[in-house]
Formats: sequence, C-alpha cells, structure tokens
Amino acid sequence: MAALALRGLVKRFDTKIAVAGVDLDVPAGSFYGLLGPNGAGKTTTLSMAVGLLRPDAGAAFVLGHNVWADPVEAKRRIGVLPDGVRMFDRLSGAELLAYTGLLRGMDTAAVDARARDLLDVLGLADSGRTLVVDYSAGMKKKIGLACALLHAPRLLVLDEPFESVDPVSAALIRDILHRYVHGGGTVIFSSHVMEVVEKLCTHVAILADGAIKTVGTLDQVRAGRDLEEVFVEMVGGRTATGQELSWL
Amino acid sequence: MALAVEAATATTTGAGRDPRAWDFVRLKLRLLRNGFRGQAWRVVAFVFGLLFGLWAAGLAVLGFSVSADASPDVGFVVAAFAGTAVVLGWTLVPLLFFGVDETLDPARFALLPVPRMILARGMLAAAFVGVPAAATMLGTSGLVLAAGRRFGEAELGAAAVGAAFVGVVTGLTLGVVASRAVTSAFAALLRSRRVRDLAAVIIAVLASSIGPLQWAITAAVQQGSLDQQGSLDRAMRIAEVLSWTPLAAPYVLPYDVAEGQWAVAGLRLAITLGTIAALMWWWSGTIESAMIGVATGGAAKPVKGAGTGAVAALIPRALRGVVRPTAFGAILARESRFWWRDARRRASLVSILMASAVLPIALNLASSGAASRGRTSELGFSFAVTMAGTMGGMLLANQFAFDGNAYTAHLLAGVPGRVELRARAAAIALVAVPVQVVVVVAVTLLAGTPEQLPTGFGMLAASFGSAIAAAAVLSVLAPYALPENANPFAINSGGGSAKGMLALVALIGTLVISMPVLVAAFLLGSSAAGAWLVLAIGLAYGTAAALLGTYIAGDVLERRGPEVLVAVTPRR
Repeated sequence: MAALALRGLVKRFDTKIAVAGVDLDVPAGSFYGLLGPNGAGKTTTLSMAVGLLRPDAGAAFVLGHNVWADPVEAKRRIGVLPDGVRMFDRLSGAELLAYTGLLRGMDTAAVDARARDLLDVLGLADSGRTLVVDYSAGMKKKIGLACALLHAPRLLVLDEPFESVDPVSAALIRDILHRYVHGGGTVIFSSHVMEVVEKLCTHVAILADGAIKTVGTLDQVRAGRDLEEVFVEMVGGRTATGQELSWL
Repeated sequence: MALAVEAATATTTGAGRDPRAWDFVRLKLRLLRNGFRGQAWRVVAFVFGLLFGLWAAGLAVLGFSVSADASPDVGFVVAAFAGTAVVLGWTLVPLLFFGVDETLDPARFALLPVPRMILARGMLAAAFVGVPAAATMLGTSGLVLAAGRRFGEAELGAAAVGAAFVGVVTGLTLGVVASRAVTSAFAALLRSRRVRDLAAVIIAVLASSIGPLQWAITAAVQQGSLDQQGSLDRAMRIAEVLSWTPLAAPYVLPYDVAEGQWAVAGLRLAITLGTIAALMWWWSGTIESAMIGVATGGAAKPVKGAGTGAVAALIPRALRGVVRPTAFGAILARESRFWWRDARRRASLVSILMASAVLPIALNLASSGAASRGRTSELGFSFAVTMAGTMGGMLLANQFAFDGNAYTAHLLAGVPGRVELRARAAAIALVAVPVQVVVVVAVTLLAGTPEQLPTGFGMLAASFGSAIAAAAVLSVLAPYALPENANPFAINSGGGSAKGMLALVALIGTLVISMPVLVAAFLLGSSAAGAWLVLAIGLAYGTAAALLGTYIAGDVLERRGPEVLVAVTPRR
C-alpha cells in the first residue's frame, strides 16, 4: 500500500488554477522528492495532502486513510513541516515541543524524553531558554522538523525542509531523514534544489503549472542525463541570449 | 507596495524626484481597489460602512443646522462640545476599539529613499482617504452651514463662514494626526516590555478622561429641564475652557470672527496649528522607529525554567495544580501566557480591560452626579457591569487571527473543536475575570452600595459567558486575518474592519442573550435574598451559555478548520 496516494487533486484560487489534477503514489519506505519551480503548486499540493487546504476536487490517502473523510486517523500517522507558516513562536523550543506533544495527546513522560532527545540531536539544547521568535531561520526549520517527528509518524511531509538552512544543519537533517527512511518511514519533501534531490531521493516527481510533468524513480527520471537538464526542459525555462539588459 | 511607489514616482530617466503627497493617496486608492477585486462581500461590507458613515454625517449636519436657530451661546456650546467629541473620538477610539487603518504600512517604505518628513506628509494625506475621515468632514461641515445661517446677514458673515470652514478642516486634520501619532506611539510603548506597564497606565488615564466629559454632558442634559439658564451657564463655562484647548479651539473660530475678535481667533488657530505641528513632529519620529523596529518587534527575553522537563516548562507553576497535561491544558497554558507575551493581544487586552474598568466608574459618577440615586443608578450599574463582561468575552471574537497561521499546528494535530474553544475561553477567563471582579468590587464600594455585589457578580458571569458563546460562534464563522505588522493597533482596511463591525453586532447579540439575567437583576436585585439568587442564576446562565456556544461553534470548527486557517493567514 502506498504511504501517500493523491487522486486527481484540484485547487483553484479565484480564477487561477493552482493545481490541475495531481495523481501521485508515494510507495512506503521511499524517499520522495517533489520538484518544481516557484509557483508550480508544490505547497498547495502538499497542503491538500495533509488536510490543511480543502481541495476543490480529488482525494488524498495516508496509509489507506482518507485525509478529508477520516482526518483523525490520517493525521495521527503523518508528521508535517509546513513552509512559511508561523509557529507559536513566543514559546521556547522545549515548550513548543511539549505543546505539540500534548496537542497530539501524548503522555508527559514520553513528551519529556523525546523532546530532550530531539533538542540534543538537532543542536537546539543550548538555546533552551530562547523564544522561537528569536531563533534564526535555520533553527526554526529544525524545531519545526522536531515538532513533525515528535509523535513518531509513519509518513513525513516536508515543505522546503532545506530552505535557508546552513550546510552543517542541512547535513544533519539529511542524516536524520536517512535514518528515518532506513527504519521503515516514508519521506516526501518539496524542493527546487537539484543537488539535494539527487543526493537523497529514491523517487522524483516534477511538478510545473499545477500538473505532474514526469514521475518515477530517480534513475528513470534522469535517464542518464543531469537532473537539472531534465528539470529545465520539463519546466520549459528560457536561457539568456545576451541581448537583454544591455544597460546593466 | 514599495515597488508601486517606485513606479509611481519614477520618471523616464530613472532619476528620482521626491514623491508628492498625491502619490501616496493614489497608492492607497489603488490598494483599496485591489483589495476589493474578486471579494464581493468586501464590497458589500464597504458599502454598508459607507451608508453608516453617510447616515451619521447626515444626522450631524441636521443637528448643527438646527442649532443655528438657537441663541449664539447655545451654538457656541454645541460647537465646542461637538468639536471636543470629534477630536477626542479620533484620538481614543482607535486605541480602545477599532485600531487604525494601516493599508500603507510604514515598514514597507524602509528601503526607499524617501525623506522622513515627506513620508510623514504622504502617509497623512493617505490617512484622509477613508470612510471615517470623509464622514467626519461631511458631518462637521454642518458647522459651516450653521455659521452661514447664523451670520449670513451679519457684517462679518462671509469671514465667519470662511473661519468655520478653516476650523472644520484644521479640526479634522488634528484628529487624523492625533489618531496616527497616539497609536504609533503606544504601539512602540507596548512593544517594549520595559515600559508596557507605564503604557497601560497612560491608556487608563486617557480613557478615564472620557469620564468627566461624559459626566458634564449628562449632567447638563439631565438638569437642562430643571433650570435651563443655570445649566447653560455651567455648560458655557466648560465650553469656554474647552475652547482654549486644541480639542475645541478650531471649531469655535466663527464665533470669534463674527464678533470681530481677530486676536482671539488668531490665538485659537495658532493653538490648533501648533498642536498639529507638534503631533506631526512626534509622529514622524515614531514612523522611523516603526520602519526599523519590525525586525526587533518581539525582542528577546530569556525564558526561565529550563532544565526541568519540557512539559513542566510549558505549564507554569501557578497553573500546575489546576491544569492537567492534556491538549486542553496545553492550550490553556499557552493562551493565558500569550495574552501577555504577544504585543497585539496585550494591546487589546489592556485597552478592553481599561475600558471595562472606566465605563462602570464613569456611569456611576454620571448617575450620582445627576443626584438620582435609586433605581436609575442601579440600572446604570447593571448596564456597566454587563458591558464589562461582554467586552471581556468579546476579546475572543477573532481569536484565531492573533497567531496568524500558527493555527496550522492545531489543525495538523487534529485538536477537537470543543476542546480548542473551551481551552481558549478558560484562558481568557483566567486573565480577564480577576480584573473585572476587582472592578465590580471597587465600583460598589465607591458608590457605597456593597449590597449590589452579588447582583453585579451574577451579571458579570452571565454577560461574560454569553459573550464567550457569541465570540466562539463569530470567530469560527467570520475570522479575518490581522496584518503582520509592528503596530498592534493596525487593522486591514476594507474587509478586516468590515468584519470587525460584525463584532459590534455580536456585542449587541450578547446583550440580548444576557437580557434575561438583567431582567432578573432588576426584579430581584432589591432584596438581599434576591441578590444572591441573581448571583446563582447569573453563574448558571453564563456557564450554560459558554458551554452551549462552544459546543455549537466547536462542531462548526471541526468542519471548517481549513477554511478558518485560510481566513486568518495574512495575505502578502
């Protein structure tokens, strides 16, 4: 059974169609990269997949549970790192983790132990007294990831997890995610950074203009070429001719 | 937005000229128009606001015209009191209730090479664009009409009409500048943790300045029927004093001019213009800090209590006995802290609590000033306590917007709607009710009527519970995003303020819901046993209303959670 299955997801904002019928199967145990340029509909798709944004049409299934018909069971099984979303940032990192754990109905002992572990591993234990609002962008990503991992979900949905993260933290996050997939978890994340995707992913889907352009294992999609080349071709980008901006 | 200014100001050569005030006005009009695009309900709400403004302005014009036929003294008093109300209203109302329209956010101009004074002038010009300013202008133009009718045939008639016009324009300018200056100064104060308590006190003093004014007017009106001449003399004395303050100075100009007292008129105009200049100078200073202050908005304060478990750190020691580590407990603990930690919440909390403290005291003064103890003052007390409870509960009318889209975390965790709303209600009760209890005790002691205490508590409980219910339903059905802005008093123009008006409807709804207890208080409150009965009824009624309201709204929230999230997510 697919860890995450999307069926004909559609979302329209006013007159603009942001997502025009996305079908996707994320196999259990895969490390799935959702690639796309800015404005391709990555965040919209993932939001609909985890129950944050109601689709105009289509359905999403997490390990067989319909996200929109049976949200409680589906949400229990996913951890989500949204992008560009505020956290309850006037709490410290530890408080935020405790808060997230209690919201999910975990018991105190488990929350305390896991929060300590996560803060240690992610190198946030030293900032135990700082409010999240005063964290750097990279630290905010890390505490967001910790919140997503806290209840040990079977599926991780990460929106731009490597955006504005420094190389050291990025390596750390990669390690953690690798170990998570090895332990039987599934990860799907969005990105527009080819290097990260090539290094990490077993499967890739390229999304542009709200539709899946190509999908498959990393090797299938690359077909012996450079991933960036494939990407630019799929997305239909333009290259500079040298004539423009002559006044620069 | 910044780019739009650049576009508006750029010339073909690319070399800059300084933007003129007109450019800011155009930018604001453009922003308003774009805000309406594809949002039919916003247009509807705007039209309603416009009609309301027209109605109020029309009433004012009518009132002023009628006053033209009365004696010059009455006209003078009306002009002075009305002018004071206009200027005070512009200064205080944004602080206490509605906030200021920050369609043009000064922070967006931080990167543009616009000189400070030009920016301030442009922002001011843009501030005039809006229904409140237009309605005020239209309404007070009744003073010009009145001057025309009164002095039309007189020797200096034309000059008096001209003076009236100058007074109306400068008066409006003063009001608009004052509203900007005061809100942005308080925004800065409330942002800094060091002086926020001082800011609270200043707001209290400002708000309590409504009290004496109200007392004066009520006393004048109530005694008017008894001895007309005496009350007019008293009102005249007050108006004389007011006319030398910037509050009324611009509005009494035509009376000086008509009598040929040019020196007096000049002095009053100087007072007005001087105040405007001083406020402009002050405001342009705070604009600068608002421009650079965004990044440091929520300055760091280390949180104590690390080292122990994470859960123990989340739930403060004071709450640990009461609150269990569940979703309910977590939300209650976080909410009760955020009411004080978050600048925007703090601003509304402080102003509402102060208003709910000042209102009963002012009403009490007014009724005792009118020397009409007994049933009327009792009714005034009931009304004031009910208003206090209502405003406390109404803090939750847009409860999901305070944290922007942080509500995502609750949605992802699948928090049950009822738990969510009840925890939030419990938190605001924890924060606001103790203050209101103190207020009720203080008012009864000041008025020398401690026997009213049980009745007061009963009505407080009933109105607070009813307001929680109304606010829960409203917050789920009509949430709206607050701008991500350094100014805690800022609201979005158009849609936001229109939905803010809905809170007014809910406020009236709450008063209606708590009416049975008010009636019970009036019927039973006079005897001691009856008073205790009112307390019991009020507590039961308020609790039942809050439980029922959150039950219904919780159900809706579980179905509409994603829609609420979209609604409170600020648009960039």
